[in-house]
Amino acid sequence: MTTEFDVEFIERTDRNARFLVRGLTPAFANGIRRAMVADVPTLSIDTVRFVENSSVMFDEMIALRLGLIPLTTPLDDFELGDTVTVALDVEGPATAYSGDIVTSEPGVEVADKNIPIIKLNSGQRLEFEADAVLDRGKDHAKHQGGVAVGYRHLQKVEVDGDLGEFDDEEPQILRGVIETEDGELIASSEFDHDLTKLYPGKELSVTDVPGAFVFHVETDGSFSVEELVDRAAETIGDRADELKNAVAV
Amino acid sequence: MSYKCSRCKRDVELDEYGGVRCPYCGHRVLLKERARDIKEVDVR
Repeated sequence: MTTEFDVEFIERTDRNARFLVRGLTPAFANGIRRAMVADVPTLSIDTVRFVENSSVMFDEMIALRLGLIPLTTPLDDFELGDTVTVALDVEGPATAYSGDIVTSEPGVEVADKNIPIIKLNSGQRLEFEADAVLDRGKDHAKHQGGVAVGYRHLQKVEVDGDLGEFDDEEPQILRGVIETEDGELIASSEFDHDLTKLYPGKELSVTDVPGAFVFHVETDGSFSVEELVDRAAETIGDRADELKNAVAV
Repeated sequence: MSYKCSRCKRDVELDEYGGVRCPYCGHRVLLKERARDIKEVDVR
């Protein structure tokens, strides 16, 4: 089966996107979703060496917080298992933020600089050196690049006629993206998720468009949405190649 | 084992016969000092 994919972006920012893909089967759409969550590797702090921690929290609790700080990941420069050294040294009275972390690689930095790690009182100090490792989301959730990834069927809305004079107009709640009869794509947030606001006084029918899926993808800042989708598709391709080679042997 | 007295803040060395008591002020609440060496923690 060969299908031409047709992709159309509905919303697009660096970390967040909503796009329509036509020509997908439900199995392939779910495969892409799972690959985005579990197969695309990101850098994350994996081992912390505490030089000094006179804060009110235990080393282990601070280490778990550090693991969840997203780091920008130039995937072309690293392979699975590669490490990058990061370090932090903050003395109270101050709050240690993720932005205080310095890294040994110029391409790797903290994606969000305003994540509080711990509040330090006067006389307290936090100093550590840590290794960030490139690994996959299926090994640990801290390595998930795609943090909110999902899809829905595209829904086609057709006007069947006018509502009867004495018919009640009840809210028709719908979430996702709709396709109007003119072929226009509208995110449901634009009409407050209630179709009767877009088509007042009309009788409507809503049907799923076969093979058309609207993905909502949000990354943790490790890389852009485009890169996440590209890499997810690549991992599926790689695994298909592995299977092909294994069968050929 | 190195401890610090929570009242007089002096360093206290404990031995097995002396019991848990500050030899300077007699206070019985002692705080264990953090070791100076680097501690490695796995983030898992």
